[in-house]
Amino acid sequence: MSRVTGQIAPGTALVVAVFVAAVPMPLLAQAAEGTVQMPMYGQFPYGGARFAIWIAAQVHLFFAAFVLGVPMFAVVAEAMGIFGQEPKYDKLAKEFTRLLLVSYSATAIWGAILAFGLITLYPGVWSYLAEIFAPSMWAYVGLFFFESFTLYLYYYGWERWSVGGAKLGHWTLGILLNVWGTAVMFIANSWLTYMMSPPADVTPDTSPAMVQFWSAFANATWMPINIHRVIANIVFGGAIVGGYAAYRFLLADNDDERAHYDWMGYVGNLIAIGALIVLPFAGYYLGREIYEFNQQMGITMMGGFMSWLWIIQAFLIGVLFLAGNYYLWVGMGRIPGATRFQPYTKWMLLVLVVGVIVWATPNTMIADRAELSAMGGSHHPFLGVLGVMSAKNTAVNLMILTTFLSFLLYRRANKRPTVTWARTGTQVQAALFVISAVIVLFYGIYGYFVTAIVRIGFSVYQVLAVLFAIIAVSAIDIRMMRRAESYGAIRWGQMPPRSQYALFILMVTFTWLMGLMGFARSGIRQHWHVWEVMRDTSEFAATPPLGYAAQVISICVLIFLGLVALIFWVGGLAEKPIVTPARKDALMGGEHATAAVAGD
Amino acid sequence: MWKTNLKIIGIVMGTLALYTIVANSIPQVASEVPEELTFTDEVSTAELVAAGEELYGGAGGCTTCHGTGTRAPNLLTDHAGEGAIGTRCGDRVPGEVCRVYLYNSLVGPAEFVLEGFPPMVFQARTFSDAQLWALVAYMESQGGEVTVTADDIAASADPGQSTAAAATESPAGAAAVASTTTDVAMLLQEQLCLGCHAIDGAGPPLGPSFDGIGGRLTAPEIRAAILEPNAGAAPGYEAMIGVMPTTYGQAFTAAQLEAVVSFLAGRN
Repeated sequence: MSRVTGQIAPGTALVVAVFVAAVPMPLLAQAAEGTVQMPMYGQFPYGGARFAIWIAAQVHLFFAAFVLGVPMFAVVAEAMGIFGQEPKYDKLAKEFTRLLLVSYSATAIWGAILAFGLITLYPGVWSYLAEIFAPSMWAYVGLFFFESFTLYLYYYGWERWSVGGAKLGHWTLGILLNVWGTAVMFIANSWLTYMMSPPADVTPDTSPAMVQFWSAFANATWMPINIHRVIANIVFGGAIVGGYAAYRFLLADNDDERAHYDWMGYVGNLIAIGALIVLPFAGYYLGREIYEFNQQMGITMMGGFMSWLWIIQAFLIGVLFLAGNYYLWVGMGRIPGATRFQPYTKWMLLVLVVGVIVWATPNTMIADRAELSAMGGSHHPFLGVLGVMSAKNTAVNLMILTTFLSFLLYRRANKRPTVTWARTGTQVQAALFVISAVIVLFYGIYGYFVTAIVRIGFSVYQVLAVLFAIIAVSAIDIRMMRRAESYGAIRWGQMPPRSQYALFILMVTFTWLMGLMGFARSGIRQHWHVWEVMRDTSEFAATPPLGYAAQVISICVLIFLGLVALIFWVGGLAEKPIVTPARKDALMGGEHATAAVAGD
Repeated sequence: MWKTNLKIIGIVMGTLALYTIVANSIPQVASEVPEELTFTDEVSTAELVAAGEELYGGAGGCTTCHGTGTRAPNLLTDHAGEGAIGTRCGDRVPGEVCRVYLYNSLVGPAEFVLEGFPPMVFQARTFSDAQLWALVAYMESQGGEVTVTADDIAASADPGQSTAAAATESPAGAAAVASTTTDVAMLLQEQLCLGCHAIDGAGPPLGPSFDGIGGRLTAPEIRAAILEPNAGAAPGYEAMIGVMPTTYGQAFTAAQLEAVVSFLAGRN
């Protein structure tokens, strides 16, 4: 028997109440008639209004990303359980979903904090946005209700609807949960992207009542952000699940539990790194749309005061690649037959380290006169060569190829193919890797000899070469490993603890990176609430430097992870024996000891 | 159990501390809000230059491109052996003194694109005249003599003060309203149309060529393209949306506009 892990209804009620309260329609109507003077800004005693809103928005976003990302792979895992006849995937899907329950409350609470914060600290901005987006705010509330209710049905109906047609119905609930959640995110994205990229015909003199709803809703950066966030949520959800599994692994009481959480951690890492490989393409699309919308905004983002941000990003992604690969390499120690691949590890490490160094090399940074004269020009005489996009694109593509190779070796570590064409297949796979790497290197070097506009086009060829290699090699591998002989089963659970700490580093780094990119997206508006429409006239209008942003991001991550730890602990309560066998023995004189264990 | 928990906390805190320290150890650049400037009639050269320097290195965002030497020429150091911007600005456009060239290139950057560089994306409309002239003063001070005065700020703030005598000296925005000619050749020169559009097979290809434009667009379409240049783009010029000034509705008189439209519509 399971215990209820959290009371959700108050959280949902709270969010509904907030959004009802947050759209002060009569007040807005009066303001429009000029009878009410809306204050522009409120005061917050600690760190100022911007600090308070930043914390509230970022922590809310962390939870929101988690509760939107996890259902995506929960429903996929359930499908694998249903259609693949693999009960362990069904169990995994349920465990994923259990993490969502309390997280939903936290998401709603932080959403309420954010909404109240905006109403009290930035009432002018809030009333402006509410006047344009009021209909979508009501839709948001309705969809959030459906989403919450669907989640309860999905989780609490797991055992009741576990066989036959009922199971398919249950799986449909999981799909619905994703549909509602994605719709909610798309609506919220329209509000924030409008602030970045309002329609061209909206000027500072345009009354919000005159702004056309749909053109404001489906603005220039709305869909790119939607796509980017969907993928980023999967990455983020996978990383948090990996951290959860690592925690449970380290504290496991027995081998079965350790084996289960070892496997869960592997799945979380696979999801996070796998989706991360796709994320740069969505980021490229978003960046291109930002440039299309406004070149000045694009240049501010990539080469203006934010140029150092991308060096930090490169450093963080370098950590992700290194930690993700390290986890796989350590994990090969529990796979029979994997020793034959271990000699390759040091070379893959070399490629990754060199790649990170090149990627993190500064190039077109803002430099003052002293720095320019110290360098003897606008670029460093030696490092300038490595810092250009030709070198960076080459480095990152080779890192992606190397990481894919790690996954491939991990996947086939305990397998020996039995198909007659195994040798040829392996040779073709190797050739695909080599050809792809040669194409990447060729265009990387050639890029130094052509103009910038031609060079930018080369990155497409590099990406396509890598993508083609990944898809073709995977397709060959899947066919080649059918009915493969096994060197032995993976010894799940026999994983050194240091590997689990790599999962923690991944979780922290993904979370911090999400905060950093949030700062980038929001910061490129600079001193505008709504880009070139509503100017920020508060004392916090200036966009702070990266050092301050890093401190705020770290605080947000600490709050989020602290609450996640609390959620994990609460989630764990549902499984703990209410009365331990030993205690039961003591109470009942040794009888029925094993029957008194609660939990599923 | 507590030992494991402490290790986890150590890993998490250590990772956060590492990222925070790294982010604080790099150069700290903030995006300041452009300060609203007001100058009296007695404003000194030093005051103008100081205000311009602050704007240039801060909220103006100039160093984003001009500090790199790759997206745009470096203004504070030598470029192509011609010295810093204050040294070379007077030679850019024949007949235009340094400060006029600099001001015009700020308010109409697309018309003054140096070969080998993309058009500047600086949006002068978000800056006041005082801010623009302070920038000009600072750029002049880089190797040249500062000639900006309070009169320049007053003149561009109130175009009516611009005199015909100052036509070769005054910035484009101020000069534009003084001209009443309907000579299309003069108008195309005066409004710097040929800075982006080629004609008779010559000229920069930043915008669609005027050659054959009458075969591609009708007169109403040409008129609309002049008055609302950002409403659309000719095939192949989509990336240039936003570059053409949207002020020609004010810059041309009705007669001038119709003269230009008729001229272009006739170029089949």
